[in-house]
Amino acid sequence: MIAREMFEEFKARFGPLIDRADLPNDRRLFVYVDRTVVQYVCQHIFRELDARYVASIGTDDRPFSGKFLVAHNFAFDKDHVLCSVLTQLPEDDLKIDSITRMVPAASWAEREMRDLLGIQPVGHEYLKRLVLPDGWPEGSHPLRKDVPWNEVPADYDENREFEFGATPEGCTVVPFGPFHPTLDEPAHFRLYVEGERVRGCEYRGFMVHRGIEKLAESVMSYNDIPLLAERICGICGCVHSVAYVQAVEEAAALKVPPRAEYIRTIMLELERLHSHLLWVGLACHIVGFDTLFMQSFRIREPIMWIAEKISGNRKTYAICLVGGVRRDITHELKAELRVVLDKLEREWRPVVEAVSGDRNIQKRTCGVGVADKVAVKSSGLVGPVARAAGVEIDCRRDHPYAAYDRVEFDVITAESADVWGRVVVRMKEVFESIRIIRQCLDKMEDGPLGLEIKDELPVGRMGLSSVEAPRGESHHFVITGENNRPRRWRVRAPTYQNLQGVAAMIKDQQIADMTISLGSIDPCFSCTDRMETIDVRSGARKVWSQKELLELTWAKMDRETK
Amino acid sequence: MSVLSKLEETLICLKAGRVTLAYPAQAEATPENFRGRPIFDATKCVGCAGCANNCPAREILVFDLCQEIRILQYLGRRCTYCGRCADVCPEKAITMSREFENATNRIADMGQKLDLFMSTCQRCGRCFKGAAALDELKMKGYRSDDIAHERWVYGAHSFMESEPAADDIQIELD
Repeated sequence: MIAREMFEEFKARFGPLIDRADLPNDRRLFVYVDRTVVQYVCQHIFRELDARYVASIGTDDRPFSGKFLVAHNFAFDKDHVLCSVLTQLPEDDLKIDSITRMVPAASWAEREMRDLLGIQPVGHEYLKRLVLPDGWPEGSHPLRKDVPWNEVPADYDENREFEFGATPEGCTVVPFGPFHPTLDEPAHFRLYVEGERVRGCEYRGFMVHRGIEKLAESVMSYNDIPLLAERICGICGCVHSVAYVQAVEEAAALKVPPRAEYIRTIMLELERLHSHLLWVGLACHIVGFDTLFMQSFRIREPIMWIAEKISGNRKTYAICLVGGVRRDITHELKAELRVVLDKLEREWRPVVEAVSGDRNIQKRTCGVGVADKVAVKSSGLVGPVARAAGVEIDCRRDHPYAAYDRVEFDVITAESADVWGRVVVRMKEVFESIRIIRQCLDKMEDGPLGLEIKDELPVGRMGLSSVEAPRGESHHFVITGENNRPRRWRVRAPTYQNLQGVAAMIKDQQIADMTISLGSIDPCFSCTDRMETIDVRSGARKVWSQKELLELTWAKMDRETK
Repeated sequence: MSVLSKLEETLICLKAGRVTLAYPAQAEATPENFRGRPIFDATKCVGCAGCANNCPAREILVFDLCQEIRILQYLGRRCTYCGRCADVCPEKAITMSREFENATNRIADMGQKLDLFMSTCQRCGRCFKGAAALDELKMKGYRSDDIAHERWVYGAHSFMESEPAADDIQIELD
């Protein structure tokens, strides 16, 4: 079913409740509805039409329409349609019905909207701070257009702490994070543990929120952003850069030359190869199997070298601009890339065979971190986590972009829904990526690398783009704007959804499995779980408070600098 | 079964041999089109500030000392070596070198400062016109960066929409 037919159905069902609709092409649908029926429309789309929840976006549209905009994005994967349900809110009544009762996956997005724009989701059951620091004053919303990009409110209280909920009865608190050896970035999980079993957890993250979206819509220009977007993530940088430029290109109706599309596809797949090899290595490292960790990194290294030769750098390729790519893949590079792929395939096959039969790894991963089909649907889980639960979604096939509609590949799934399933999916996807790159090298046609853009881009148009990152779907939403920069750019990274599923994954599991469960979603974030010390000889127990620990740290730092 | 896979894994390790590079004793050459530290050539630079306006990290500052002298300062602190400056430079005055071992105790070592003599053409002589419509930085006011504090600054009060332009100038008509 294409977008138009879908819209006809909406019209038949909702009739006058739809204010306006935009159908820019067969695969995109923007429906404007009245604020009173948002819940109803979203429920219909999510439950009856069985769409997948993607993201919710709030934006301050006051300088242009005098109102605030809220968009709930859904994906009809089988019909290849991305649908956005939009609502306008008047400035003096910033309330919208929360859709979390039907779509639990929208929880974070609605909390973010409340933090950054001051839009109140009515009926949301857990309205704590998500993005803003705890000492940020109420009523100051950084993403509003009248707030400068570099503003820090005068009454910002740096020392205020997050208030965690009450500890469930019979449970002990084990802090996991903000810095943990198995995580690379800060995120704090407060685990409620009964004996060895995790009974629940509370999460506080966003400690390294950098305000990239605000920068983009206030001081950067269209072609600066792909290079900024690439730095959102150290692993799937190219994904963000491609997703952003595609959203802009879609909004401005720019048709990218085919050679550029092939080059983007090749770079995305190279990134997937390095990421999958890295993750399989790290997963092995987390469960204590460092031999394979070393071997995957060894096998991965030639990928980094060839990426360096093509793009000028091992990881941040900086290859995308709006309308095309910056560098070509020459005949010599093509030949070299083929050699690298052959070697990789030859070396990776025995690893997959060996790991498939390794009972040590299976014992640590089978039945651990389970997220079944129901969890996938309700938390909006994406990528290998969803595919390992037998949910066959892959944006490369469902919402084809770049040159993916011209190549053949299989979507790898597993049925076990646990960490083992994710290991299997990611190991096998390596071969699919190799297959895709080979086809691209064969089919790549000569031609220009980019469009010549003579005129400024049209203003106020919307663009959606979903790109399959190695760890799941990365979704970007752009509204084009004046002064050579977008009005609004929203990034929903795959971890944003997958992290929301972690609470369910670790519930009633062994605390020792926490690291691999969390590691299995490949979270883009680190731990000093040393809050309690026991003097072994006297048995005296001392619980350190955060304040004491901080003072201890500072004292030590002072000693070392002197 | 599991014993077999352990043997297979051992074989993989044995076959791999030694792969650790002898770095830094023996450094591998970086590829030809590597994006290392940008090098600015003052003899080629015409001071159009195209690089400054297209630097995503805003690491290139421009300041006009007077009508004829422009300072172009590359800070190099947060530079991500993306190479956009080299791309947009109409005079090819910027090259992405193959340098990457740039650890230093003094961050100022990374910077480069160009004092440029700006000769005057029939117009203003300091305009950058990007190849594409997207290579333009559109901010209100004009660019006058704060070299002392190493900050980029855009703006002038008189260009704010709500305020009249140059209201401090009184012109007497009589």
